[in-house]
Amino acid sequence: MSEVAERMDEIVIEVGKRHIREVNRDIMDACATGRPIRVVNTLSRHNLGVGLPDNVDITFEGSVGYYCGGLNTGANISIERNCGWAVGEGMAKGHITVGGYAGMSCGAAMIGGTIHVKGDAGPRVGVAMKGGNIVVEGKIGYQSGFMAHSGRIIALGGAGESCADALWEGEVWVAGEVDSLGVDVDVIEPTAEEVAEVDAILEPLGLVDSSRNWRKMVSGQRLWYFESRDASAWLMI
Amino acid sequence: MCGIAGRILAAPGKVGADLVDLMDAQEHRGADSTGFAVYGLPRETGYVLRGMGFDKSQLDADLIKFEAILREHGSSFLSDPAIVADDNPHYCFRMEISDPANLKAWVADADELTDRIEIQSCGRSLEIIKDIGGAEAVAEKHGVRDLIGTHGLGHARLATESSVLPNASHPFWARPFSDVAIVHNGQITDYFTWRDRLTRMGYRFLTENDSELIAVWVSDQMKAGLTMEQALKKSITSIDGVFTYMIATQNGIGFAKDRFAMKPLVVVNRNGDLAAATEEQAVRRVMTEECDVINYDGPSLTGIWGVGNRSLAA
Repeated sequence: MSEVAERMDEIVIEVGKRHIREVNRDIMDACATGRPIRVVNTLSRHNLGVGLPDNVDITFEGSVGYYCGGLNTGANISIERNCGWAVGEGMAKGHITVGGYAGMSCGAAMIGGTIHVKGDAGPRVGVAMKGGNIVVEGKIGYQSGFMAHSGRIIALGGAGESCADALWEGEVWVAGEVDSLGVDVDVIEPTAEEVAEVDAILEPLGLVDSSRNWRKMVSGQRLWYFESRDASAWLMI
Repeated sequence: MCGIAGRILAAPGKVGADLVDLMDAQEHRGADSTGFAVYGLPRETGYVLRGMGFDKSQLDADLIKFEAILREHGSSFLSDPAIVADDNPHYCFRMEISDPANLKAWVADADELTDRIEIQSCGRSLEIIKDIGGAEAVAEKHGVRDLIGTHGLGHARLATESSVLPNASHPFWARPFSDVAIVHNGQITDYFTWRDRLTRMGYRFLTENDSELIAVWVSDQMKAGLTMEQALKKSITSIDGVFTYMIATQNGIGFAKDRFAMKPLVVVNRNGDLAAATEEQAVRRVMTEECDVINYDGPSLTGIWGVGNRSLAA
């Protein structure tokens, strides 16, 4: 098979052992055509489809490695199976769907758009995120939401240890069991309006379920400024 | 940032070639030096030694001294030592020796020569091959692809703590325990404290590398009566720092991850045919079809994988 082929209306790009820079250049060229793109034989390679433009539909067959879809500026990205660390890192706009498991730091430092993980996600989901939404159908891992500045992390299958640790103004929503809370977290009862906002995010994904018992986690704001009376909270970090 | 790998074959085979592939895929994680711990088919008696001398012009004199110490312990070369050297000042060796009367006592005496010649592995089946350069370069120089065995470890090193020399790179042998090797990705922060304690107990450390500690620490715990599983678990709360390490014995490979889940580990395990690595893309070099990957992304994890079939299948 050649490295770039056409199948029906799709452009098919082979990864294999090729240099990632070369693969990404082929992906960018294909984006310019406006046609759907399918990337095959991905072999869990890193940095696939980084910095993709608006109005692009791209599918990665199988599993990908680190940083797939990073710095996305509007593309609709679908990963069939699992992804490695930091999928969609720093993305500004667009939509990423992960069919299976998402590795550590999913959506790290993202500023906009949506990441939808159908399986579980690893530790530190949405670490330092500054906007956008991360929806995980399964469980989010250890220390998810760590220092999230803004945006929402929504977990439908529970959360691991140290959940929502050291949040800034981000929110972590969990339906299901939370193994333990991180430092400086307040668990609050969401209002009907807030639940409606979350449901509006879940609605296009077909994931609305009114029977959910939500736990909304926000910052306790005790770590925002240092106060000597809070020294014990700081020492927990 | 280093890259580590482990491989267990369903039946003895070209484990060396697979370890080279696993490490070649991770060369970007550290290309200072690359090392392999290969467990060949175990011998009934005698040991295989791997190691290096620091000055190849002194090779003959080194070997004469080395053999003299062997003889004092009732051991001798079973074949002529195989020597590999290139433009670098150091040389590497592979030796086969008969059993010394007391392995630990012999290792202590042989270590008197460590300013000139250093044993880097000793085992009935373990052979540690490590040298400066990337995976393919080291493999070609030492014929790693041709090595037959049951299981093994690999390491690509980005030196942060100590010198770039084969002896400061991984895998590390758990001196003086035969057939124990480790590879480590991370940094041990209470290294000097632990090293002092273990040195006072009589252990010998040959490098300034923090990872050498882990091999000896785990082996010492097991000598004190802990199972490997217990020792791995205990290491998570006893050793301070960030780490994902794998430790191998003749029976298999164990791993442990620190409390903060800082270093990755990815595993494919198909009924005893197992590949583990820092990065999934490395595992996919040897398991190319889509397969179920286990991501050990969480904190404080341990595990042990056994070697199933040691006999050479038809």
